[in-house]
Amino acid sequence: MDVKRRTFLHALGLTAAGTLLPGCDKEIRRLVPYILPDDEIVPGVADWYASTCGECDAGCGIIVKVMEGRAKKIEGNPLHPVNQGKLCAQGQAALQRLYNPDRLQGPLRRTGAQAEHRFTPVSWDEGLPELADRIRHTKGPVIMISRPLSGTLADVVSHFIESVKGSLYFYDPSPELPLRAAVRQAFGIRDLPAYDMAEADYVLSFGAPFLEQWLSPVSFGIAFGRMRQGRKNRRGHFVHIEPRLSLTAASADRWLPIRPGMEGLLALGIGHLLLSDHRSSLPAGRLPAYESLYGGVSLDDVAKHTDISQADIKGLAKSFAEADCPLAIGGGTACAHTNAFESHLAILGLNSIVGNINRPGGIRRYQSAGLATHPKVPWLSERRIKELAQALEETDQRPLLLLYDCNPLFSAPPTVPIQRLFDHASYIASFSGSLDESTVTADLILPDHHRLETWGDHVIGEASPHRAASLVQPVVVPLFDTRGLGDTMIDLTRRLDGSHSGPDSFPQLIKDRWQRFHTSHSSRAHEPFQSVWEDLLQQGGLWESTVTEQRLHLSSSAANYQPPQFDGEAVDFPLYFYPYPAPSLGQGRGANLPWLQELPDTMTSAVWGSWIEINPATAQAMGIQQGELVRIHSRHGSVDAPAVHYPGLRPDVIAMPIGQGHTDYGRYAARRGANPMTILAPLFDKKSGALAIGATMVRAEPLHVPGHLILLEKPGTTAGGGSDLISIERPRSSNART
Amino acid sequence: MEDKQGPPGEPRPHRWQMVIDLDRCTGCEACVVACHAENNIRLSGPREAAEGRAINWIRIERYWEGEYPDVKARFMPVLCQHCADAPCEPVCPVYASYHTPEGLNAQVYNRCIGVRYCGNNCPYTARQFNWFDPQWDPPLEQQLNPDVTVRQNGIMEKCTFCVQRIRQGKEQAEREGRPVRDGDITPACVQSCPTTALVFGDGNDPNSRVAIMAKSGRGFHLLESLGTHPAITYLKRLDE
Ligand code: SF4
Ligand code: SF4
Repeated sequence: MDVKRRTFLHALGLTAAGTLLPGCDKEIRRLVPYILPDDEIVPGVADWYASTCGECDAGCGIIVKVMEGRAKKIEGNPLHPVNQGKLCAQGQAALQRLYNPDRLQGPLRRTGAQAEHRFTPVSWDEGLPELADRIRHTKGPVIMISRPLSGTLADVVSHFIESVKGSLYFYDPSPELPLRAAVRQAFGIRDLPAYDMAEADYVLSFGAPFLEQWLSPVSFGIAFGRMRQGRKNRRGHFVHIEPRLSLTAASADRWLPIRPGMEGLLALGIGHLLLSDHRSSLPAGRLPAYESLYGGVSLDDVAKHTDISQADIKGLAKSFAEADCPLAIGGGTACAHTNAFESHLAILGLNSIVGNINRPGGIRRYQSAGLATHPKVPWLSERRIKELAQALEETDQRPLLLLYDCNPLFSAPPTVPIQRLFDHASYIASFSGSLDESTVTADLILPDHHRLETWGDHVIGEASPHRAASLVQPVVVPLFDTRGLGDTMIDLTRRLDGSHSGPDSFPQLIKDRWQRFHTSHSSRAHEPFQSVWEDLLQQGGLWESTVTEQRLHLSSSAANYQPPQFDGEAVDFPLYFYPYPAPSLGQGRGANLPWLQELPDTMTSAVWGSWIEINPATAQAMGIQQGELVRIHSRHGSVDAPAVHYPGLRPDVIAMPIGQGHTDYGRYAARRGANPMTILAPLFDKKSGALAIGATMVRAEPLHVPGHLILLEKPGTTAGGGSDLISIERPRSSNART
Repeated sequence: MEDKQGPPGEPRPHRWQMVIDLDRCTGCEACVVACHAENNIRLSGPREAAEGRAINWIRIERYWEGEYPDVKARFMPVLCQHCADAPCEPVCPVYASYHTPEGLNAQVYNRCIGVRYCGNNCPYTARQFNWFDPQWDPPLEQQLNPDVTVRQNGIMEKCTFCVQRIRQGKEQAEREGRPVRDGDITPACVQSCPTTALVFGDGNDPNSRVAIMAKSGRGFHLLESLGTHPAITYLKRLDE
């Protein structure tokens, strides 16, 4: 193990249970490896357990404060390589998922028609055989749609699906598939590489929302803080390009409002200048390939279509070329169009031209911990949903659908057509822990434990300079009659193949695999595993910083630039529609947690609802007042939401946060606000099949009634500053002492 | 920035201070949820929030500057400034708002009679009033932190610099027979902040990070002209 146990406890400011010196009257905080039996719980004393956050797929390490058997607070695990003691808003709010009043308390079977949403409780002894039976006798294929899984659970689930000859898909509302596809083509790797932002001194972001809920939010936050103020006399510069001044853009030194879908074209323009006006570090032999990619554009055209001036484009190219450690990074809006794949190739290529691959401050890749063995599971892109639905209908096969912890009926637009896939199913079973829009259609629900009640592990991928895997362990006794998905899968496998071989239980399987992993990897391989295991649990996992960097080569960036396609004629639908994930609600998954509902949106201070954003000039021209209800029409439907005058938005764009508009999903989420996904057109990124969420054109119709808009900020501070607090900062900035 | 010394006489072992680096703060609000979880801040719900009765001990203010396309947004985390000369203290008829020897502006909940003079007198709108009793839908209440009082209707409340965490840090040091180390004690917001925009420590320890950073050329205090002498120093954002 990398870290000595004592150092670790010291870093946490904790004492290990049982290691107290005699004479100390009362411990205050102690870190314990295992969940304690009742008779070892000391009233009023906090026990801390290490585990791994499951609110997103970043896999931050956590320590959980438990008093008298109840989880009180989640903090970051200070020694965990991903989040280094820090935690995002969602990660902390996981406590309200554990203690959510609307959690499913045990297995349920549907009674009556699907639309009635009526269920009766059943026991596990009824539910499990029923599902096994259904799977055994299904005529159609078994299809499982799951949130992305990692480590041992991913193996167990994929083996189960393999054993019933089914198909397993990972579904995530914004997995950045075009970026993944471009990385795969450019570098020939399947995982996303690391962006070494902490060491960069010029970050050029094409819509990448890295200071929001994107890829690995906490680690980007840490890197950003270092990039700005963590080095002596070296403050990294940051330029953000996006049609909207997002939460991420707000931290930029400069924001450039680009015309939607033109991110790739701008990258081509910059690349063109890098090759023609600046010295490229590319070997001469490789230049022609780049020249054919970037050479074909004219600066006039780029400026005209991107709506960014030639002077600005030249300025960007110059700064990028002159920086010691420039970094071009694309995501978010750059993934939102039909040409997203090509855009990302152009953006990634900028990094090669200036030679910052495999360098500090650039794009890097490391060897990951080989704990898991499962084959790569395909993503369920929106285009694949469409193809699946069509294929099943054409062959008249009725699938048996299994769902785990994802909600495609909420997050995929009806045009895709996700509903038809569900309607066509012969039987639906869900393992999710709450009644969201997808799970509510199920015939049978066998709910999983909450993350803080279960076992698991998480393998940290090639983006981490640590070979790391972290452990998930129960920190409280399960509140309800739920079961961990791993155990449910093992049980079903056994019922279906009728054998009693295989692992006894999921926790045992985890421990066995970690023992094997440990024996082949650790310097402590000679020690008895039980004591090592306790240390691993206490530390939260295994991480070694001595990891080899893998060489990355830009193999092929050949792609012809494609202009983006949009749905809707300009005469009827003159405005671009730009749905973006609400930073606090994580694509709607957080909408059932009251802390997140009441967390003011940083940019608007809105709580508990939806809104649309409109440039104040556009609003004035259309007579739309702040707070007034507006109906947004596309060719595919309409949504209503109150207007917020938003100064940081292109005048030809209407923006709207994604996350609200649930019809189910518990008391805090249901019937609140509107879901922008419901009006999107079925256009896809050509290569990856991801929904082009920025490709729908709309029209705005003021409804002349006030909408339900709750802003926490006092009127008068919305536009033009004018607050006392900030005006103090302004004059001082000119005469600040240094 | 001139270090303000406390009144002569009794030597003070600690003087708790915070530094907020606006060049690091990204407005992610991890600190806001951390504060709610630590301090049993009640849920207000949409109706009370619409009435302006939502409670946040720490908030991220956002200021728009300029006009499209040359528009900027700036963030400023605002919490109780724990002023050395706090305008909220002298106006309280029952001495519920007072200054501790360690530099905290404290609120004694069971003295507070809810006249709200302190709230009206705070130039930072850091104090908030409980217009109703808090309520948690079961089993959400199982999360409540037993180290922090749940405040009832009619009480004024605000940021305490997580005084319970300060106390625990001191007790832990005492048990181990050593002085409190720099970084041992972090209020919940500081602990969570991914970018390390928030730094907390003992201003009386000249080697503490907070004492060193407070001397930065970028430092300023909120509403300095009022002479409140806050315990929080802001470092200005560098983006001109
Ligand atoms: S980024 Fe936030 S939600 Fe994701 S794993 Fe980390 S703490 Fe959890
Ligand atoms: S956690 Fe830190 S970066 Fe995030 S809003 Fe709070 S002070 Fe700013």
